[in-house]
Amino acid sequence: MKAFEENPADVKRADIVIGIPSYNEAQNIAFPTMQAALGLKEYFGHMDSVIIDCDNCSSDGTGNVFMNTDTKGIPKIYLSTPKGVRGKGNNIKNLFRKALELNARAVIMVDADLQSITPRWIKNLGEPLFNDFAFVAPLYVRHKYDGPVTYNIVYPLSRCLYGRRVRQPIGGDFGFTGTMAGVFLKNELWDEDVSQFGIDAWMTTIAMNEGVPICQAFMGKAKFNEARDPAVDPGPAFRQVIGTVFRLMEAYRNKWKAVKWSKPTAIFGFGFGEVEGPPLVTVNREKLYHRFREGFSSNWETYRSILSFENHQKVREVASLDMDHFEMPVSVWARTLFDFAVCYHNRAMDRTRLIEMLIPLYYGMTLSFVNKTEGMSILQAEEFLEDMCLTFEQTKPYIVDRWDREKGVA
Amino acid sequence: MARILIVDDEKHIRLLYSEELKEEGYEVFVAADGNDILDRIEKDRPDVIILDIKMVSSNGLDVLQEVRNRYYNLPVILCSAYGSYKVDVKSIAADAYVVKSSDLTELKNKIAQVLEASVPGKE
Repeated sequence: MKAFEENPADVKRADIVIGIPSYNEAQNIAFPTMQAALGLKEYFGHMDSVIIDCDNCSSDGTGNVFMNTDTKGIPKIYLSTPKGVRGKGNNIKNLFRKALELNARAVIMVDADLQSITPRWIKNLGEPLFNDFAFVAPLYVRHKYDGPVTYNIVYPLSRCLYGRRVRQPIGGDFGFTGTMAGVFLKNELWDEDVSQFGIDAWMTTIAMNEGVPICQAFMGKAKFNEARDPAVDPGPAFRQVIGTVFRLMEAYRNKWKAVKWSKPTAIFGFGFGEVEGPPLVTVNREKLYHRFREGFSSNWETYRSILSFENHQKVREVASLDMDHFEMPVSVWARTLFDFAVCYHNRAMDRTRLIEMLIPLYYGMTLSFVNKTEGMSILQAEEFLEDMCLTFEQTKPYIVDRWDREKGVA
Repeated sequence: MARILIVDDEKHIRLLYSEELKEEGYEVFVAADGNDILDRIEKDRPDVIILDIKMVSSNGLDVLQEVRNRYYNLPVILCSAYGSYKVDVKSIAADAYVVKSSDLTELKNKIAQVLEASVPGKE
């Protein structure tokens, strides 16, 4: 997959590697690169390190900007997929390979469009890897409405399925050991969705299922990149992430069936003092409501074939609510996601279409979350989310039962 | 039966919890602070720790990090008179958070839940 490598310092080994996946990020990549270099100098100055731009053959000069960024003597490598081969996952796969080639002990990856990264992020994502943790996920302060796919779907689902509470399973910035890079590279559950934006969910899920110690690193400053109105079309990333989550459920069915409740992870990185608040995310509630109603009424028959009878009745009831009183009970939402996962597993309909069918209901759940948490602070909304997760955990026997029953397992 | 270590600087709380939890059939150990918590764990081998937050000579949230970094899967229930620490980022490392009450029903339910929690490790 690697088509091009530029390694002017002829780096042949490194204790710690920072990878920055990119595609047409010429405007943004210099800043995280500089911050990464400062973090390496300040906190890992005694180790051999390198910063790698893992690129998709960008046409806007991303590679040139990266290679010309002053990294205070920290060497740089530019890696790229062949022209026309896109995907964050493909970039990360190149990073896994290179990390193994360099015999790296620790690997950190950060997004190329980060505006809020500081050198402390490098410390916090990296240091636990030298203290017996194998995978480090980020813990940011985000606006309560930022990242609806995370708080409505991936976090509660991954937590109740695999039993480990990782608040930002698709956060984009991670740390992992060189050993884990090898585990990822050898894993056979790779597909087209993973090679795109499914990669973050894939890595976190594999780390959870490998049973390795996971740490969540508090990043202090909020993640500032492109916070979007949750009513905006989630685009192909939604299909890639959800497709990855559902497919991994098939692969790890024996694991998640054995999980009861959930357990925390270790936390690393305190002492930031007052943390800067995240940027405001405005929500177009009318658009969310309209998209839910329109999607539900035009696909009513299809939903009947996906959802269980009782659940379909409940969602129908929810669809009759007006916008201001709109509420999707969490147990109904959990069962809805479980029904979709079962349908995906049974290949009862085209998988791409199935995930598209989930989008209107996801808009409905997002509106429900917004309505319920409207007057809440970020911390209160987190408590609300915690209760949501407990409901998912309590509802889990539903999918254990349905998964087997639909396949006729006694 | 499961072994429970209660870490709380208030003597009457240690006494109340001990009595109630012994009645439930648990084997109970007590400590008046979180100093030397790792040694206490080595010695008492608890299945669950009930940990106060505001103690005179130690901070339960710091004790929690010490426990979690060494004993990744050992259940810890934070049990505080204050609900406000629930939103402290450090409390995320706890399995559960209970606000102190003379009615121990919630605490007992959480103990049962964390003991029941099962997350398979590496095969």
